[in-house]
Amino acid sequence: MSRPGFVLDVDERTPPLVVHQGEGFRLERLPLGSKVIYPPDSLPGIRDVDAAIRNALLHPHGTEPLPELLRAGMRLTIVFDDLSLPLPQMQTPDVRQRIIEHVLEMAAAKGVDDVELIAANALHRRMTPAELRRTVGDRVFRAFFPEHLKNHDAEDRDNLLHMGKTRHGEDVEINRRAAESDLIVYVNITLTAMSGGAKSVSVGLASYRSLRHHHNVHTLRHSNSFNDPPNSAMHHSYERMKGLIDEHVKVFTIETTLNNDTFPSSMGFLNKREWEWNVRDQATYLGVKRANELMPKKTRRRIWQNTAAPYGVTGVHAGLQSEVHPLTLQNVHRQQRTEVNGQSDIAIYGLPYICPYNVNSVMNPILVMSLGLGYFFNLYMNKPIVRQGGVAIFYHPVPNEFHPVHHPSYIDFFEEILTESTDPVLLETKYEEQFATDPWYIQLYRNSYAYHGVHPFYMWYWGAHALEHLGDVIFVGGNRKTTARMGFRSATTLADALEMAKDTVGGSPSISYLHAPPLALADVR
Amino acid sequence: MPMIGEEQRMTPDRPHEFPSLGDSHVLLTGATGFLGQATLEKLLSAHPGVRVSVLIRPRGGTSAQRRFDGLLRKPVFRTMRERIGEDELRRIAAERVNVIEGDLGEVTLPSDIDVVIHGASTVSFDPPIDEAFRTNVSGVVTLYEALHKAGADPHVVHVSTAYVAGVRKGVVPEARLDHGVDWRTELGEALAAHADVERDSRRPEVLRKSMARAQGEHRKAGPQSVVAAAEEARQAWVTERLVDYGRARAQSLGWPDVYTFTKALGERAAEELWGERRLSIVRPAIVESSLRHPYPGWIDGYKMADPLIIAYGRGVLPEFPGLPDSVVDIIPVDLVVNATIAVAATPPERGTPGYFHVGSGSRNPLSFRGLYENVRDYFRRHPMPAGERGHIRVPQWRFPGSRQVEMMLSSSERATSAAERALLRLPASAKTREWMTAVHRQQTNLDFLRRYSDLYQAYTKAEVIYDDSRTHALHRTVPADRVDEHGFDPSVIDWEHYLQEVHSPSVTELMRGFSKGRGGGRKSADPVLPERTDVAAVFDLEGTIIASNLIESYLWARLSSMPRSQWSGELADLARSLPRYLRAERRDRGDFVRAFLRRYQGADVAELNALVKDVLGEAVLQRVMPEAVRRIRAHRAAGHKTILITGTIDVFVEPLATLFDEVVASRMHERDGRLTGYLDAPPLVDEARAAWLRRHAADTGLDLSQSYAYADSYSDRPLLEAVGNANAVNPDPSLYRHAKRKHWRIHEWGAHTRGRGDVLIDTVGARSAR
Repeated sequence: MSRPGFVLDVDERTPPLVVHQGEGFRLERLPLGSKVIYPPDSLPGIRDVDAAIRNALLHPHGTEPLPELLRAGMRLTIVFDDLSLPLPQMQTPDVRQRIIEHVLEMAAAKGVDDVELIAANALHRRMTPAELRRTVGDRVFRAFFPEHLKNHDAEDRDNLLHMGKTRHGEDVEINRRAAESDLIVYVNITLTAMSGGAKSVSVGLASYRSLRHHHNVHTLRHSNSFNDPPNSAMHHSYERMKGLIDEHVKVFTIETTLNNDTFPSSMGFLNKREWEWNVRDQATYLGVKRANELMPKKTRRRIWQNTAAPYGVTGVHAGLQSEVHPLTLQNVHRQQRTEVNGQSDIAIYGLPYICPYNVNSVMNPILVMSLGLGYFFNLYMNKPIVRQGGVAIFYHPVPNEFHPVHHPSYIDFFEEILTESTDPVLLETKYEEQFATDPWYIQLYRNSYAYHGVHPFYMWYWGAHALEHLGDVIFVGGNRKTTARMGFRSATTLADALEMAKDTVGGSPSISYLHAPPLALADVR
Repeated sequence: MPMIGEEQRMTPDRPHEFPSLGDSHVLLTGATGFLGQATLEKLLSAHPGVRVSVLIRPRGGTSAQRRFDGLLRKPVFRTMRERIGEDELRRIAAERVNVIEGDLGEVTLPSDIDVVIHGASTVSFDPPIDEAFRTNVSGVVTLYEALHKAGADPHVVHVSTAYVAGVRKGVVPEARLDHGVDWRTELGEALAAHADVERDSRRPEVLRKSMARAQGEHRKAGPQSVVAAAEEARQAWVTERLVDYGRARAQSLGWPDVYTFTKALGERAAEELWGERRLSIVRPAIVESSLRHPYPGWIDGYKMADPLIIAYGRGVLPEFPGLPDSVVDIIPVDLVVNATIAVAATPPERGTPGYFHVGSGSRNPLSFRGLYENVRDYFRRHPMPAGERGHIRVPQWRFPGSRQVEMMLSSSERATSAAERALLRLPASAKTREWMTAVHRQQTNLDFLRRYSDLYQAYTKAEVIYDDSRTHALHRTVPADRVDEHGFDPSVIDWEHYLQEVHSPSVTELMRGFSKGRGGGRKSADPVLPERTDVAAVFDLEGTIIASNLIESYLWARLSSMPRSQWSGELADLARSLPRYLRAERRDRGDFVRAFLRRYQGADVAELNALVKDVLGEAVLQRVMPEAVRRIRAHRAAGHKTILITGTIDVFVEPLATLFDEVVASRMHERDGRLTGYLDAPPLVDEARAAWLRRHAADTGLDLSQSYAYADSYSDRPLLEAVGNANAVNPDPSLYRHAKRKHWRIHEWGAHTRGRGDVLIDTVGARSAR
């Protein structure tokens, strides 16, 4: 049994604590009395993952075993989570590869020939052949690519099916091949409580027409938080859409959860609590930190991006989504949930080098915003760790860097739209449509490896709840120009940031530091 | 102390009472000039009975009357306008001023003229010799011919300059110049010099030399650019020679420059042609901004000392050749005007011309050192803004002597021109452009210093005093209660007040406004594109939209289509051929394109197309400059026709094709599904691009004068010159230099473009990973 999550009160004996800061990290001494929120220790992984998968497929929840759903002559579509999961990427073999191999074996045994594999990338960039190969494995890749292993194309009008509207008038439009299959097998990795469940098919295979009903400022401001589905307007919308999809097509879901072995053994100290570091951990800390700083920028980025996590699989559940997902969420909570007593005036977050949208790419300023004010701020249940009107302090250099191929619309969004306004509602009403329907962005999304034109807007909405909640946002070590462009402030040190925060929260604020990654979900009472 | 001549002390013909012009009819030449404007204003505002005829030449389609109306709106009339109102000013002008349109040689002057104030003169110190003689000598002759023709017999006030005395030391009396130069001979030779020099400039040796120079610098831009540059150089040579003719002749006869030389001969002509009648010669020194009237600090443009003051304030004059104790004879314009009018009102006896020096040197001398210290103190208290870098700190002068300044100057000049030659050979990069800017700035400063130190030697090293006893005697006739309005005694000037509170603020005002207007930052935002459909935005591809070039895209294609084991052979072969390609590129862009594309000989067309679709298209997009794409799209959004012109073969353009309404690329010849290595048509480079664009514009009704072009290489100069809005994108050193001179917009694009090596590795890696 692993130790549960833990809130540390910083006192004189507390050593400096690890804070992530983009492609690097530092040890920071926090003010006495600060609360530090640690996730539970990493859970042990399942020893025989293949056996667990077979077992899940043969003994699913709420439906017949998979082999009984398969028959010769049927149309089978296997859909899997794209490159945005998990973070960082897991060491091969990827759990999706293992599951897909099992499913294909069973399908072959039943004589199913019409099989398509689709990456559920929604408006994300297409996965490159190399990325697909890494996710599904060599054997599957060679057998299916490129004719039967594809990325979902949300702008291929001929290959989308409008299924109707929910009772709230939300359009449900998804990939036609999947929608017209006799069976969809959805292969999922649930890294945080927001993924999986109803989101899988209704978002991963959808089009802009459908996504706009929940990816908008209003919904996100009423998703408190989006990591807590019962309290998330966004998830309510997913559920309604999923209800409609279920009327048209049968979906067999396989959900998996991972433990908190986020960093490989060479950086094992990042998985541990600081006061438990042994001499070796301290030595590696010093060595890794120094080497990291000395490395040329490009090499450093390549090394971080090539880091794969030695995740253990903590659960494999298959069957009817509505019965599977609660079990999955239990596993996520077992690994990430930490009870926290009350909110504080200031929240501190160390933002790492990776987010769902910069795998093998560049973390641009807008992605930093969405990682901080979107993902990290929303790692809570019940209440944010910082009070209404409080201050969030993020650690990140926020460099003015963009990937020209992956994020072309982001560059224009940053240079032309954010210079006009940073108000999510104004951006949404004035500019979203224009970016979403721009033929050049659509061409790049479909034929190159670009995120959809509308995607930077979604990133901005992701932070809408935090923007409304917070009194001030300060980036320690942040590039002045980029942070100011986004309407934030930058400070050189934590001391400076706390000094700047005084205007908002006074001279002796209470402070909480969410110690992540590995990910922690604060359950604030 | 030299004796003052008898005739200067005794002025029996000058009654000792304040003279007045009464209701005279005054003809004013040069009314639009600095002194002319001030004189006209004074006549209208302070001499209510006087009628004025002004002689104004129509210019550039603007009639004389309109030019005169424009004059009334100038700052010189500001005080008067405020006092009596716009309408009243116009009424007075209409009633009292008669505008005569045309040149002296062609108009008929009124016969009832009482006084002529002849102020027309060249404004430049070193014009070509023929130009200087035409204005300053022929102009005088023409005036008297016109007066004779009109049958008028006025008192002529000939405005000259104190410096007609030439290079000399000691006190210069108010008298007829003492020299034996025959003005008719000099005039004839000067006018003939033009034809001589024109003939010389056409000698084959001269032409070959300018052709060779133009070849070296402009070959990349195409043959028409070369000949245009050569012809431009010839014309510049002619001007330079004529300037040199003037300066050399002037100096050989004892004058510092052609300006003072011709003014001296002009005096002689006036004496000869009008000396038997009533003639006064007024010789002002260095005329600068007003002390009091029409308002303190009034000035029209920059006068003699002002470029130096401004340059000093900008911190670019580390030293200046000049003797610290020499007298800088500065005189405010309103004092000169008052003296001139007083002289005009006091005609001399027939046959005995009067001479008057108007300056400060004799009664209230200002030393060069005093001038420097006052200006320095002014800039210390009111430094010039330097954009984001705060304010400019002015240098401290030590007056090391002209020899040392000269040595410093010429060694700096040598160093800078060597640096520029070296930089022009470097490849295009942000660093090169930064160096180019530094060299360019240094060169501008040096050119400036060289020009002014040569020109002003005589004025800043002068050890000469211009006696002004006669002028002062005239001043003493002004009644005490009218001295403020009509006096011209230089001893009233408090130099510290005048230089620090009046003159320097006035001449730096314009520059300060300019610095403020630039918002402090060097980069100004892109202008908003006007919405219209009859203009085009033309883009070059390589270096402008994408950071890659022919060689790079060839490597992508070649390496990703061959096994790794053969890479070294291919790379070695390419490396061996590189010098050949580079030579071709230097010589002619078209030669390079042809030579390089031969490498595609034998390539399978279908395979190349598939390669572009699979990986090369991606590589192109990785090397795209996002700013360029945004710009293209902005043009499109504004309704402009977007055109891509490139020497690259068409398949590589495919990923970007949808951004353009028109793509002009090279096509390679193919046979049996393979490329032959030859082009279907000559590659569209340098002047061919401009020619294509003009033709296309004519066919489709585009307005090129309002169109836009973007390019990175000097070979694109003709293309950029074909449109009204030229933009240099990451320009190579030659284009950068040209763009700077032409004030074209210069863009630094590619902030987020991926590196050459990364893309090459990714691209060939992606292919071999399949």
